[in-house]
Amino acid sequence: MITPTDTPTLPSIPENWIACKDCDLLLERVDTPVGDKALCPRCANPLYQSRENSAERTLALAITGLLLFIPANLLPVMSMTIIGQESSTTIYKGSLVLFQEGLYWTALLVFFASIVIPFCKLLLMLFISGSLHREHFSPLLPYAFRYYHYLDEWGMLEVYMLGVLVAVVKLKGMASVIPGIGLYCFIALLLVTTLMSSLLDEECFWTRIEQGLKGNPQ
Amino acid sequence: MLLDQNRARPEGEPAVNQQTTARQLGLIRCHTCGKLAFDVGHDGYEEHCPRCHAHMHMRATNSLSRTWALLITAVVLYVPANVLPIMTVTYFGAGEPDTIMSGIILLLQMGSYPIAAVIFIASILVPLLKMVALLILLLSVQSRWLLDDRQRTRMYRAVELVGRWSMLDIFVIALLVALVNFGSIAQIVSGPGATAFGSVVVLTMLAATTFDARLIWDKETTND
Repeated sequence: MITPTDTPTLPSIPENWIACKDCDLLLERVDTPVGDKALCPRCANPLYQSRENSAERTLALAITGLLLFIPANLLPVMSMTIIGQESSTTIYKGSLVLFQEGLYWTALLVFFASIVIPFCKLLLMLFISGSLHREHFSPLLPYAFRYYHYLDEWGMLEVYMLGVLVAVVKLKGMASVIPGIGLYCFIALLLVTTLMSSLLDEECFWTRIEQGLKGNPQ
Repeated sequence: MLLDQNRARPEGEPAVNQQTTARQLGLIRCHTCGKLAFDVGHDGYEEHCPRCHAHMHMRATNSLSRTWALLITAVVLYVPANVLPIMTVTYFGAGEPDTIMSGIILLLQMGSYPIAAVIFIASILVPLLKMVALLILLLSVQSRWLLDDRQRTRMYRAVELVGRWSMLDIFVIALLVALVNFGSIAQIVSGPGATAFGSVVVLTMLAATTFDARLIWDKETTND
């Protein structure tokens, strides 16, 4: 006879079970060599990719990125001269001018995709990998990493970089464009953030956050 | 053990067809962090992920209707995005408004073929193919077309991946209007087409996010 209970106890899920994001196939996790991608056998979706010293490396890159962020955004990206008159631009100036011309929505879109979101991503990564490195597990950690995950695809530094190249070519017929010191900082920032995303071991981060919070319950 | 053959495979190993899904065992995969948890929710009841505290759903809520709504809005806005001028270049008093297409033609006349190709792909081809791909995905899930599941998943992943690159033209406009500001000598002013185009890019990116790729593989039901 089954006795009804208010809180039915569920069997525990084995630690090494995972499911594919895109086709929901249930899988048993196997360890892959560092750097190798594990793929879903049914839909070929990349499942995970383990990285060495992920927390330490992303922490170093987040700090580097935040340092580069200041000159990349304050110094002129490029300048041009027409009959003695010189004009230069910074990253934020683009959205500022769009705002003044009345394209508020586009201005905000550019401002967020090229400045706000990349900056938030660096700050969140500093907090997350810093916490993991120091083994200090704040209850805010899962929220921080969740929002990092949500913001991820909306930071568009690499698209902006391509935009700079296109703009230079478009202006070719008008005047020559001189790259500013800000552009070099921006390229460095782009390299750092790209490397940061590729060295991030999301699965390992989540596991460590989960285990760390279990270890010292708040 | 049930999962003996359901193992993640290293890159390069051939794909096989296997069937046990998390859903069949009553398990939900958290859409944000990937944690598996038992589905204890009732109808309309949302459970939070034990690891990241995000809402958990067996499948994204109203995935198809939401994707339809976003996609239709994007298609409607695609018209003004291409018809309205995105910017006006004035050089020594002469100049006329440029749409996305006329900007590309101008680049071709200048002889910058590679850049013209890049803009054509990012601003015309990618948004168009993306909308068509989402349309095919939505229709095929709803009417259960017999398309190859793996290919449809690959298509979905491509849509997810390339979407952001369409923002290219918006960034170019932002750079040009800030840089070329020489009063009556030379001036570049943005146009309303930029707003419409930016919205198309954002809407299609959101549509790709709301579409739940697992629906492709669900054969029993069409929507949750």
